Amino acid sequence: MTLRNLELRARTVVEGFWTGLHRSPYHGFSAEFTEYRQYSPGDDPRYLDWKVYARSDRSFIKKFEDETNLRCHLLFDRSRSMNYGSTGYSKGQYAATLAATVAHFLHSQGDAVGLLAFDDQMREYLPARHRPGHLRHLMLALEKPAGGHATHLVEPLSRFAALVRKRGLVIYISDFLAPLERLETGLATLTASGQEVTVFQVLDPRELTLELGDAALYEDMETGQRVYLDPATSRNGYQARITAHCEAVRSACQQHGIGYHRLSTADPLELALFEFLQERRRA
Amino acid sequence: MNFLSPLFLLGALAVAGPVLFHLIRRTTRHRALFSSLMFLSPSPPRLTERSQFEHLLLLILRCLALGLLALGFARPFWRQASAPPAAAAAGRRVVILLDVSASMRRTGLWPQAQDRVASILRTVGPADQAAILTFGRRLTPLLSFEAWEAAPVSARTDLALRRVAAAAPGWEEAHLGDALISAAELLTDGAADRASSGPRQIYLISDLKAGAQLGGLPAYDWPKMVELALEPVKANHPTNAGIQLIAESPDADQQASPSVRVRVSNAADSTREQFQVGWALANGSGNRPAPTDIYVPPGQSRVVALPVPPGGGTGKIVLTGDQESFDNTLYVAVPQKQHWTVLYWGADQAGDVRGPRYFLERALPQNPHLAVTLSAASPDQPAPPADLAAAKLYFATGALSAAAADALRAELLRGKLMVLAPPSAAAAVTLARLLAVPTVGLTDAVPADYAMLGEIDFHHPLFSPFADPHYSDFTKIHIWKYRRLQLRGIAGARAVARFDRGDPAVVDIPVGQGRLIVFLTGWNPSDSQLAISSKFVPMVAALLDLAGGKTDATTQFTVGDALPAGFGADSSSPGLYATKAGAAFAVNLAASESRTEPRVADELERYGAPGIKRAPDPAQVKEQAARLLAADAEGRQKWWRWILGATFLVLLLESALAGWTARRVAPAASMGGISS
Repeated sequence: MTLRNLELRARTVVEGFWTGLHRSPYHGFSAEFTEYRQYSPGDDPRYLDWKVYARSDRSFIKKFEDETNLRCHLLFDRSRSMNYGSTGYSKGQYAATLAATVAHFLHSQGDAVGLLAFDDQMREYLPARHRPGHLRHLMLALEKPAGGHATHLVEPLSRFAALVRKRGLVIYISDFLAPLERLETGLATLTASGQEVTVFQVLDPRELTLELGDAALYEDMETGQRVYLDPATSRNGYQARITAHCEAVRSACQQHGIGYHRLSTADPLELALFEFLQERRRA
Repeated sequence: MNFLSPLFLLGALAVAGPVLFHLIRRTTRHRALFSSLMFLSPSPPRLTERSQFEHLLLLILRCLALGLLALGFARPFWRQASAPPAAAAAGRRVVILLDVSASMRRTGLWPQAQDRVASILRTVGPADQAAILTFGRRLTPLLSFEAWEAAPVSARTDLALRRVAAAAPGWEEAHLGDALISAAELLTDGAADRASSGPRQIYLISDLKAGAQLGGLPAYDWPKMVELALEPVKANHPTNAGIQLIAESPDADQQASPSVRVRVSNAADSTREQFQVGWALANGSGNRPAPTDIYVPPGQSRVVALPVPPGGGTGKIVLTGDQESFDNTLYVAVPQKQHWTVLYWGADQAGDVRGPRYFLERALPQNPHLAVTLSAASPDQPAPPADLAAAKLYFATGALSAAAADALRAELLRGKLMVLAPPSAAAAVTLARLLAVPTVGLTDAVPADYAMLGEIDFHHPLFSPFADPHYSDFTKIHIWKYRRLQLRGIAGARAVARFDRGDPAVVDIPVGQGRLIVFLTGWNPSDSQLAISSKFVPMVAALLDLAGGKTDATTQFTVGDALPAGFGADSSSPGLYATKAGAAFAVNLAASESRTEPRVADELERYGAPGIKRAPDPAQVKEQAARLLAADAEGRQKWWRWILGATFLVLLLESALAGWTARRVAPAASMGGISS
């Protein structure tokens, strides 16, 4: 995280993980042949194998493996709570690096990567593309400052479902520090539409432990609400509540077969990527 | 050290505040950002675990400031031996104002009043002066300041108590306002009072009934140095109803059965509402006719007409059903109707609307008590002596024969009154005959336009009813013609009114014991507008009064009223009395004495009485004097100014120290949180 350039940071992380090729669920047009199929009326006659027809007088259609049709969308939380950080960098910077890394990695494999940034509403949408310069646009979008006075976790899911009809990969990156009502429903809708979803919950270590030091007047970064707080007296209750909250997110993900990764900003990013790739490899 | 307001020392307890705050580890000036407070709830500041004070010097300064502030507000002073105020040394001048009006006759009031006097006298010291005044309608000194001073110190109280024991409530109404004013002036007007610097107090011992007359009290500028202490006494029974006679209706004599109307009023705090009213026998053993039941709610009054019993309307009417009897007897003296005769000589007939007789007949009073009839006499023949003697007044508007004039002169010499209105200069002979002079200068005069009455002697009984400026305008009466009379040569003749040209208009001439009033213009329309003016009827009534009879004879008086001359009795107590002439008249209580509901003290104050104060307790007086001494000493020393200055200094020091501490702590109080 010492590198200032997000793209450079992502490229650095991706190095060494070049083996992470995955099999596309789609068949498309590429040089690699996969199988033959009996021609049926309506098929494109361009793909008839004339040689086989000449040899056997039968009509077969050649099928090729599609290597470039993985569509990955990054659902990126850009709310103000992501600005918090006690490790020298904020959750937002950590999450942006994570998103950029994934984007760079997939782009390097020739996959199309899109972005949907949100806070309390959808702020920015870049369709999944694989064009020269698209990754650059995506990096710029990830580097934009956070805004909004709340986090709405379900709104981006419903907007995404309305925008993207094609199946693909959805990577949901947020701190999930928001009410979880209807989150499970949103995730269920997404998975039901054929999307493969992976959730990254990014949290600061102090958000898990409440090691904040002396009592002070604490201000909510999103709502601006101020309360007088003595962390020493509030710690136990807080830890129980944040743990229960994270468990609720995990439970919602597991119920729908969604991969859930809780990341602390103190953890190295490479580990996160490694875990992600391992999971995909298992899948 | 003493304190003027020691209660303010309790404010020093506020030092507990800083002590507590310094025990609380709370750094509210530190602010920090956190991603989300959704899992957090406010936590109260907590005390330091080891009960260790933070910023001890600041704590001391803050406690010191609060302590000094409390000390300053407590107004400390050093008690010094000082001479007592002059007021404490000087004796009081006390006036005990004792109500002896009729309502004080109610059960239990007078013993209470005597007890109050005794208790007040016990508070009067040797240096004090006291006077006791009783009041009803008038103020009566029971014991003057001089008598108090003249008596030996040890015998003063006994003397006063003896005088009070000898007194008793009278029958008069209470003129409370006049009594208070007189008492206040007694305390302020005398030379001794002006020299005295001690307190001046009035103790008012009264039932403070609503009917007490406040008189000029609302307009009186109450002297500031005179204190008023109310000592109200309360009757044993609240119920009191009174009875008053009200005026007869104008057509009372036309009724088949004459009646007397009485008003029964019930006090506002009465507990009874049902009463009986009726005539009482002369010996008072019972009611003559059956009494009339009457329902009077508290605070209201009812009028009831009682038929006059066959024996006449003079007697007493008694109200029963009341708890207090002092105002339950009403004495009624119904005047006997008088019949007077006026003899008239004139050339005109009774129905002649242009003659003076027509107007004179209609101006003569006719009322339930008096009926005046006009009887015409022949101008040529002398009237029968019996008629002359029976007639109250003579009117002549024409020339008389010598015999008739002589007969009239004889009556005038005996004290009768005659009015002569000569119709022309030819009547000069009649006038000369009446005056027994050879001749009088009487000539006809016709003014160019009209004449007016210009110079009137309103002191004369004929014109005295018009003395008030509201009624003294005679300029609307135009006179078309008149006779000019030479007064020179007529002994004792006095012009009580003159025309605007200076000629006499009405002349009063004494004749023996009687008098002759000469009108030099007639009241008939051909002579003047006098008869059709509003002045004529009162002038005729005044002539009848002048002739020796009262046209409005009063037979009902109130206790304390000044009786007319010739009544030969006093009005100090209610009852039925007879004049020297044998006519009955009644004296009754004032109606206001029946309004016995207590007057609210605030109302007395609203009407101008000074601030109502209770009689001061000697212990309270002593305490008040000590308080005054303390206030005086504190006012001279003014320690509070120095203490307040010291408080400001301490606060300045505290502010500086707190600022320095805050600046020192602030850099160290940085909190986590990265903001974009």
